[in-house]
Amino acid sequence: MPREAEPSLNERAFVVQALQEGLRVDGRAFDQYRQLELKFGEQYGVADVTLGKTRILVKVSAEVTTPYTDRPFDGIFTITTELSPMASPAFEVNRPTETEVLLSRLLEKTVRRSNALDTESLCLVAGQKCWSIRVDLHVLSHDGNLIDVSCFAVVAALRHFRKPDTSIEGGHLTVYTPAEREPVPLSWLHSPFCVTFSFYGEGEITILDANLLEEQLRVSSCTISLNRHGEICQIAKLGGTPVEAATLLQCASVALNKVKEFSTLLDQKLAEDAKRRNKGGLLAELSAENER
Amino acid sequence: MPLDTSTYNLALLRIDGRRWNELRQLRGQIRTQAAADGSSYLEMGNTKIMCVVTGPSEEGKRRNQGASSASAAGSGSSTSASATNAADILVSVVVGGFSTVDRKKRARSDKRIQELQATLAKSLAAVLHTHLFPRSTISLSLHILSQDGSLLACMINAATLALVDAGVPMTDYLVACSAGSTSSHSAADERADPLIDLNNQEEQELPFLTVGTLGASDKVVVLVCESRVQVSRLEGMMVAAADGCVNIRAYLDSVVREKGHRMVAEGAVEKGASMAMDIDV
Amino acid sequence: MPITILQPALVPVHSTRDESYGSESDSDGGVDLEGDISMRPAKRARRTGDDSIVTPGEQRQEPATAHTQRRTPPAIISSVAGTLSKTNKLLSVRPLRARYTPEIGDLVVGRIVEVQAKRWRVDVGASLLAQLPLSAINLPGGIQRRRTETDELQIRTFFSEGDLLVAEVQQLYSDGGAVLHTRSLRFGKLRNGVFMAVSGTGGGGGVVRAKRQTFVLDVGRAAGGGGAAADDAEKIDVVLGVNGYIWVSKHVEGEGAAAEGTGPGITRIEESVGLNVYSSQNDAIPPGTMREIARVRGVINALVEHGLRVDEEMVITGYHEAVEMARADGDGEETLYLGGERGKRLADTLVGR
Repeated sequence: MPREAEPSLNERAFVVQALQEGLRVDGRAFDQYRQLELKFGEQYGVADVTLGKTRILVKVSAEVTTPYTDRPFDGIFTITTELSPMASPAFEVNRPTETEVLLSRLLEKTVRRSNALDTESLCLVAGQKCWSIRVDLHVLSHDGNLIDVSCFAVVAALRHFRKPDTSIEGGHLTVYTPAEREPVPLSWLHSPFCVTFSFYGEGEITILDANLLEEQLRVSSCTISLNRHGEICQIAKLGGTPVEAATLLQCASVALNKVKEFSTLLDQKLAEDAKRRNKGGLLAELSAENER
Repeated sequence: MPLDTSTYNLALLRIDGRRWNELRQLRGQIRTQAAADGSSYLEMGNTKIMCVVTGPSEEGKRRNQGASSASAAGSGSSTSASATNAADILVSVVVGGFSTVDRKKRARSDKRIQELQATLAKSLAAVLHTHLFPRSTISLSLHILSQDGSLLACMINAATLALVDAGVPMTDYLVACSAGSTSSHSAADERADPLIDLNNQEEQELPFLTVGTLGASDKVVVLVCESRVQVSRLEGMMVAAADGCVNIRAYLDSVVREKGHRMVAEGAVEKGASMAMDIDV
Repeated sequence: MPITILQPALVPVHSTRDESYGSESDSDGGVDLEGDISMRPAKRARRTGDDSIVTPGEQRQEPATAHTQRRTPPAIISSVAGTLSKTNKLLSVRPLRARYTPEIGDLVVGRIVEVQAKRWRVDVGASLLAQLPLSAINLPGGIQRRRTETDELQIRTFFSEGDLLVAEVQQLYSDGGAVLHTRSLRFGKLRNGVFMAVSGTGGGGGVVRAKRQTFVLDVGRAAGGGGAAADDAEKIDVVLGVNGYIWVSKHVEGEGAAAEGTGPGITRIEESVGLNVYSSQNDAIPPGTMREIARVRGVINALVEHGLRVDEEMVITGYHEAVEMARADGDGEETLYLGGERGKRLADTLVGR
C-alpha cells in the first residue's frame, strides 16, 4: 500500500518548534484560513472550491426513483466521496483509506444526519416516487484540511442546485425540462460547516486550517460542525493526545465565529451567481413557484 | 414514541428510575479468556462487551499476510503511528447479529464500524506507551454482545480493562462516559439538565455526546457528538460526562485491584514491597 | 447555566466482592462516596497490608524513576497494574501479567515462525520475534565444522517452519529483541512429546525463573508397579521455558534437554551431534509413557488454572499427588482427568489448604 511520504525528523522538529514559538511555516496566524475561493459551474449544483492548494469539486444530481420501503415518505439523499490517486499517491481507486472513510462519515453526520436537507420534501408520490439527490465529491488536489473544504463545497453545491420542477395531476407525475419550467431549489433548512482544529505539543497549541505538512505532524485534531445559529451538528475528536476540556470549549466558540464567516461568504457568492444568471431580471417571471 | 420528558421535569427521575448523575449498573471482569494476553468483559447496564488483547507481538511474514488480507476485508484499522519506532494498534470490532432487538446483518465494511475502530485505535495510541514496543503490534478484538446505548463509551472502557490485564504500560486508565441534555436542539430553555450514561431509548430522543478522559483528570482524549445541540449546552454535558468518567475509573480500578489481591492471595504473584508508610505522605 | 454537581451516585459494585478495594483517586478527587463506610476500614487494612496493588495512573511521591514507571515531574505515576518493588531508591512495578521480556541466559522454548537466508525467526512469546542465526547452532558432523553455503541452502533441513526448539538467550538488542543459541547438547530440536503454553515470567502465575528449568521426572517409580508398560517408561523430560512455553517428552539418555550437567565430554560431542539431532521423526513411545506425559500436562494445566507457580518442585509434587489421587479414587491409575473438582483438589493439596 503506497503511503504518503513521511516528513523527516528535522522537518518535524523545525515545524513544531516554530509553532511553539508562535509561528507557522507559511506565515499565517494560528486562527487564519488560507484564501478560500468558490466558483459555481455553468450548470446548477456544481461547486469548485479551492483553499490554498487543496481543491475540491462537487457535483449534485437528481433523478426520480422509488423510495426505500422502510421510509416511504422520504426522498433519497446520498453523498459519495472519491479520493483518487490524482490528489495524492496515498489514495487508491476502489480501496477506501481511513481518511476517506472518516471524511465520508463526517459529511454524513454533518449534512445528512443534522437534517440540513429536508428529505421529506423530496417525496413525490408516497411509497412510489421520490427524488434521489446524489452528491459526488472529488478531491482534485490534497494539501490538507480536506474536511472543512469538502463540507463547504457540499453545502455550497446543494444550495446552488436546482431540481426540475414537477407536477402531479390525477396520479400522473410530470417532470418538466428546464425549457418548460424554471428548476426549483431544494428545501434547505440550515447550513452546517466544519471547522477542524489541530493540536500540537501537549495539546496546548491550537491551529486552524492545517496544511498537509502540519496535518502529518499534529498530535490530535478535533472537527466541530456548527451552523450559524449556534447549533452543534457534530463533534469529532477521535482519539489523539489528550486536550484540556476548557480548550475544547474555547474551540467551539472560535468555530462559531468561523462558521458565521463561512455562512456570509456563501450567501454573498450565491447572491452574485443568482445575479449573473438573472440577466434582465426575467427569472421571477419564469419561475412557476408559488409563494406559500 | 417520544420520551416522556414531562415526567422527568416533575420527579427528576429518568425512564429507568435513575437520577441525572447516576450510572447504570456496572459489572466488569478481567482475565476471562485463558488463551489471550489480556481480556475483559464489561457490562454497562444492558450494553455488554467482551474484549480480547493479543500482543504486543511481532507478526512473522506469514501471519502478516493474513492480517493484511483481513484489513482489506475491512476488519482491521491501524493507527497511523509510524511503524518503525512504536507499536501499531490494530482494532477490530465484531457486532453480534443478536446484539440489537431487530436482527440486522451488518456489512463488514460498515463505515460506522470502521470509524469506531479508528477512534479506538487512535485514542489508545495516545494513552499506551507504544514506544516501548517498536516493530510490534497490539491487536484488540471487541465483541459487542448486547447494545443498549453508550456503545462507544463501553467499548473504550472494556478495551482499557483488557489492556491493563495484558500488562501494557499506559499513562492512566482511558475511561469514557456519555452525556445527554434534556433540551431538544431548538429549544433554548435554560432549565435543561444534563444526563449521564444514556441508554438506547434516551439516545434516540435526546442529543448526546461521548467523552473519554485520561483517568480522573479533565483531559479529553475522545469527544464525539453526533446529534444537534445548542453550543451553550456543550459545557454542561461535558462536565457531567467527565464526572461520570471519574466514577467509572474508580469502578474499573476496583476490578483490577480485586483481581490483583486475589492473585497475591493465591501466591501467583510475589507480594509487593511494604509501602504502608509511603502512600499517605 | 451554572452546573451544580450533586452528590455523585455510589458506583454499583458487584455482589461477589468480598475483598477490600479502594482507589487512591477517590480520596483526593474530591468525590466522597457516601455509603462506602463498610469499605473504609477494609481500605485502611489493605494499606497496612503487604499485598498492595498499584494500578495505572496511581501516583507515587518518591524521587526516583524506574523503567516501568513514567515520570511526569514531579510525580511518579505507575503505568501498569502490579505489585510494587523497591530496590534502594528505585521503585518498580512488577506487573500482574505481561508478555515475556527476554533476559540474557534465559532458557526458552520457541517455535520457528520464519526461515530466512542465514537465520531463523523464532516465536518465544515476547513482543518481538527472537532470532536464531545459522552460526549459533551445532551442525551435524562436529562442532568445529565450518559453515558453508551448502548449509545456508539446506537451512530447512535443520529447522523449518513450525519446529519447536529449546535454546538460550545469548544477546539482546536495544529494542528488546533476543538472539538465541543452541550451542550445547542441552538445546536443540524438540521431539517425542507435547508442547504447552502458559504465561511466562512476565507475571501472573506460570513458569518462574528457578535454579533449574529442565529436569527429569522419574515416573517408573511413582507409578510403581502400574503394569508392564511402566517398566520401560521410566523417565520423562520436562523443559519449563522461562517464557512460559513448556515441553514434556520421553526421556532420551545422553541427549536431549535434560542431559544438563551430566552431559558428555567434549570428545563425545562430535559423535553425539549426529543425525538424530535434527530429525523430525519421533521415536517409538510406549503407551505407558504417553499416559504419564499426559498426566504431567494435566498437572501443569491444573497449576496454571488455579494461579499457582510452575516450577520443578510444584510439578514433581503435583505429579506424585496426581498419581496418589488417581489411585485413591478407585478409578484406577489410568485416570488422567485433572480438570474441574479434581484440579481444584490437587491445587488445594499442593498449597496445603
